[in-house]
Amino acid sequence: MLKKLLKYDFKSIFKVLIIFYILAIFFGVLTRVFFSFKNSLVLEILGEISQGAAISMMCSTLINNLMRMWVRFKGHFYGDESYLTHTLPVEKRTHYLSKILTTVITLFVSFGVIFLVLFTAYYSKENLLFFKNLLLPLAEIYDSSILGIIALFMFVLFLEFLNILQCGFTGIILGHRKNNAKIGFSVLFGGLAFFASQIIVVAVLFGIAIFNKDFMNLFVTNTALSMETIKSMIYISISCYTLVSVLICFVNIRLFKKGVNVD
Amino acid sequence: MELLQCIDLNKNFKKKQILKNINLSIPRGKIIGLLGKNGAGKSTLIKLINDLLTVTSGQILINGKPIGVESKKIISYLPERAYLDKGMTVDKTIKYFEEFYENFDSEKAYKLLKDLGLDTNQKLNKMSKGMQEKVQLVLVMSRKADLYILDEPLGGVDPATRDYILDTILTNFNDGASVIISTHLISDIERILDNVIFIDKGEIILTAEADELRNREDASIDEIFRRMFKC
Repeated sequence: MLKKLLKYDFKSIFKVLIIFYILAIFFGVLTRVFFSFKNSLVLEILGEISQGAAISMMCSTLINNLMRMWVRFKGHFYGDESYLTHTLPVEKRTHYLSKILTTVITLFVSFGVIFLVLFTAYYSKENLLFFKNLLLPLAEIYDSSILGIIALFMFVLFLEFLNILQCGFTGIILGHRKNNAKIGFSVLFGGLAFFASQIIVVAVLFGIAIFNKDFMNLFVTNTALSMETIKSMIYISISCYTLVSVLICFVNIRLFKKGVNVD
Repeated sequence: MELLQCIDLNKNFKKKQILKNINLSIPRGKIIGLLGKNGAGKSTLIKLINDLLTVTSGQILINGKPIGVESKKIISYLPERAYLDKGMTVDKTIKYFEEFYENFDSEKAYKLLKDLGLDTNQKLNKMSKGMQEKVQLVLVMSRKADLYILDEPLGGVDPATRDYILDTILTNFNDGASVIISTHLISDIERILDNVIFIDKGEIILTAEADELRNREDASIDEIFRRMFKC
């Protein structure tokens, strides 16, 4: 059943996202073309405009990814279509997992498209060298390659988006419990869930800091921390954030399994 | 074992009690009219049976088991509103039902749609409300279910089509299956009912066999209803 649900969720989300993907790639190509001509003010201006359009399309891709998933979640589980969703012979957990997996995969695809647009618009030997030089010191600190640093950065960004999305789901579920038709409660509970998830991460770091003097310096002094400490903190924060995301997923499934009250 | 049983069922919305101590048994092979005024609790009861609302207290059993995936496989439900993805064509909606319901008979669906003169290539959002309701009814009646629950199936349909719809219901439900029809258009459905359940202010006030009730009261169900619920 999960495969079938995924098929329809993907169709619905990609139907719109594909437009943003095509536009982002189109403006990425235009940016490259216009910037490849030197000594023309008009083409330079057009290049700047294309660049702006490409950047806005890339942002729209991510924002749309989130917004469409929230709208679909609300429509499917609490709107008119919920009369079909909840009467399908499918477990509530499977419904929720379908939405999460759709988000994870569409986010990966969106990041892939953004990477492709950036590559198309800006790739050159000089830019690559500049980028390498920029990231090299960071890579050395983390005993990693430049690709490893990029992967870590993308993973943190991905986690952040996933967390925002799941907190939105929590908000929708709790908001509908509190007051069926009012969106205000959904936004409020979503915001609170997101805030709570950040607090948990900070609380865990503080918990560790109680037993680690170097970590405690972050909370009680404003002296510069050693690179080794910052590195450990970032790894712990990422691990903790991943666990929080999994925890929110379990909480949402549990809340969802308690049943809905459709208007 | 009864097909559907409601035991001491209560439903509250905040402090307001919508259903009060409902005890109900639905046997197999019957067409049952769930009759009551607007706001009597008919749709609430139906939504509870279909897992669209949570029970405050009490129990609902389908074939002796609580509501879940297994019960959803054997209940075919027609809500009182347009609930399909309006961006889909009728063809795609049929495919969707085929994929999710093992007991969906697409041949039957196409035949019924053809009889009703509906274009299966048309998107639902291009159809009138009445046409959408017909599509929904066809999809629901094309399942080989054990229990059909139809909430106001005649609500948005013109009187000329009502008879066709009632015949569709009568001729298309499985042997041994039961049909619950919730409506306040009693005169239209009276002829097909085996049993009636009268519901008022969240309470079941009467359950009877339709013929027995008519003989006893020497009046049609519609007349009895009007008498009982006179404002």
